[in-house]
Amino acid sequence: MLGRGIKLIVSMIGLDSHTTGAQVIATLLREAGFEVVYLGTNQTPAMIVKAAIEEDVDVIGISSHASNFVLLDELLDLVREHGLSDVPVVCGGNIPPAQAERLLARGVARVFPPGTSGETIVEYLAAQGRGRGASAPRRP
Amino acid sequence: MNCVTDYGYPIRPVYGPRDIEGIDYGRDLGDPGSFPYTRGYHPEGYRSRMWTRRMTAGLGSSRDANRVLKKYREMGQTGGLCVIHDRVSSSCIDADHPMARHENGVLGWPGSSLLEFEELMEDIPLTGQSITLLGCCAPAALRLAYVVALAEKRGDALREIHGSVTESPFSNVFGQTDVQPFDLNMKLFLDSSEYIVRNRIRMRAGLVGQHFQESGGNNAQLLAIELSMLKEICGRLVEERGLDFDEVMRVPYQLASIGTRFFEEIAKVRALRRMWARMAKERFGAKSEKSCQLLIAVHTSGRTMTYQQPLNNLVRCAIQTLAGAIAGCTAIDNATLDNAYAEPSPLAARMSLNTQHIVAVETGAAEVVDPLAGSYFVESLTNEVEAAAYRILGEIDARGGLVAAIEQGYIESMLKNEASRKFRELENRERLVVGVNHLAIPPEEELFRIPIQEVEASDSAAIARRMADWKAARAMAPIEACARRLHEDAGKGERFNLMPAIIEAVKAYATAGEIMGVIRQARGLKYDPFGMIECPFRLH
Repeated sequence: MLGRGIKLIVSMIGLDSHTTGAQVIATLLREAGFEVVYLGTNQTPAMIVKAAIEEDVDVIGISSHASNFVLLDELLDLVREHGLSDVPVVCGGNIPPAQAERLLARGVARVFPPGTSGETIVEYLAAQGRGRGASAPRRP
Repeated sequence: MNCVTDYGYPIRPVYGPRDIEGIDYGRDLGDPGSFPYTRGYHPEGYRSRMWTRRMTAGLGSSRDANRVLKKYREMGQTGGLCVIHDRVSSSCIDADHPMARHENGVLGWPGSSLLEFEELMEDIPLTGQSITLLGCCAPAALRLAYVVALAEKRGDALREIHGSVTESPFSNVFGQTDVQPFDLNMKLFLDSSEYIVRNRIRMRAGLVGQHFQESGGNNAQLLAIELSMLKEICGRLVEERGLDFDEVMRVPYQLASIGTRFFEEIAKVRALRRMWARMAKERFGAKSEKSCQLLIAVHTSGRTMTYQQPLNNLVRCAIQTLAGAIAGCTAIDNATLDNAYAEPSPLAARMSLNTQHIVAVETGAAEVVDPLAGSYFVESLTNEVEAAAYRILGEIDARGGLVAAIEQGYIESMLKNEASRKFRELENRERLVVGVNHLAIPPEEELFRIPIQEVEASDSAAIARRMADWKAARAMAPIEACARRLHEDAGKGERFNLMPAIIEAVKAYATAGEIMGVIRQARGLKYDPFGMIECPFRLH
């Protein structure tokens, strides 16, 4: 169980209502031992950051089905503003390569395009644990 | 590799006469144009009516979408147009809503007022081609109102306009979600369908099985879901709205998804025609043969379009288009080679339309009706998928029908399990997809970079600003009067039809957010589904 002890958010962002990818990934991660907080649809960047703080997660994962990706920029800004720089933001879905490069430069930790194997996703996320409990309180 | 259909039927290496022993030609197949319509509805097939070749449009502003529609007409899309709402107007909120400003014009047309529809249709006739508008259930009542209002303004006779602009409440239960509650969607759907029937409008309503399959559902489940949707909708229109079944059946059509497993897809569509014909006669006592003929449109599968080596998608799309054509359908709209990346680029759209034109005029597939009938294999598959679908349908019936099965979470878990199973099959390489889990190449060996249709954030903001400015400049007194009437009507019970009040409000240029907000408020819901804005009208 590679994911044991690691807690993460799986969420859609904005009005995107294509939930299949997020649900498949949430199931895959739960089966791999991760603790998944599935936020579902209609989540604003502020709601996602609030949940990340309240749930004290190790990773924020966003499933995205075609967009102009502005909401991801907003999310990255909010993550930084709230001092969550130790919480990587990853995203997956229909993200064109040029957007993926831009998002990586902007601070997204990883982009998983369609067709990424479950193994790749699990291995990457399993390495993102902060060793909860030992870590210092996050908010000033 | 597994030789098994997606619903679990193991395929044998060869089929022969024994596999179709029980089939009675007259009872189970019938000539094209004869009950049970396994072979289709027209004795001469596409020779008497070619399928409508179209692409779904909608991206950016209404004027942008208008330009694309005109371009598609130049590209041979003359039988009908198809446009889908963006996420904002699908949710029945306006472009200036706080949740909307970054998502206007993303994935569709920002059609939240009559103004937007007028811009979309500028210099494009409402008649002489089918008008198809897609995207969620609640805004569908508004789409019908747009058509009625614009026809009146242009002086077009409503009976000369045909197509499909409404959509069942089930679309958004299958792998997509909706901000409007299901019971409100259902009410609006019954209202719009009743309005169509009573006013003899030639508009169809989509029962979109496509979403179910694109979210992972298998072929047998799809058939069971499609029949359950029809059962539920027709049953309610007959029982709750007092309509005649044969009149009701002028309304629904099915939008089915067609994947790459060629023979299985053809068998699925053949089985659907037969299953519906029998249900229409046996369950609903159809008096008219027309009522036994379920109109079926095809969408080739966006789900099968891969991110890796996207040019391969042209091949998949061609196979699926050929399957859709051979299966027999009234219209096809294609997924595009860039489906896993973004909205269709002009190149991808042209390739998809050309794929249809090639299948239509070069292959000969359109010249003979149901050419695979009598094939040991295809007839066996037709029987198998039908039998598997009847088992699932029995399960849904035992739960009290589709709405009850949805409330019990049965459909959602069915879909979730199936989507996860399909993912695992790819992971374990039980199903092979070229370029993804078979013969994959490193990204640097991708020899061709497809053009990507960009969606600019500034476009979304511009649409939001325009909406805010335009809203403020409207004459508010007539809009408020319409809002009051709508609010009053919405308090008159589930069966009181809201279409007349909605049409009046649309003509006064009330917006989707305003119209749906007032209806919501009358039903004891918050004006705004996100609780972010207040009702601007004095309703009492």
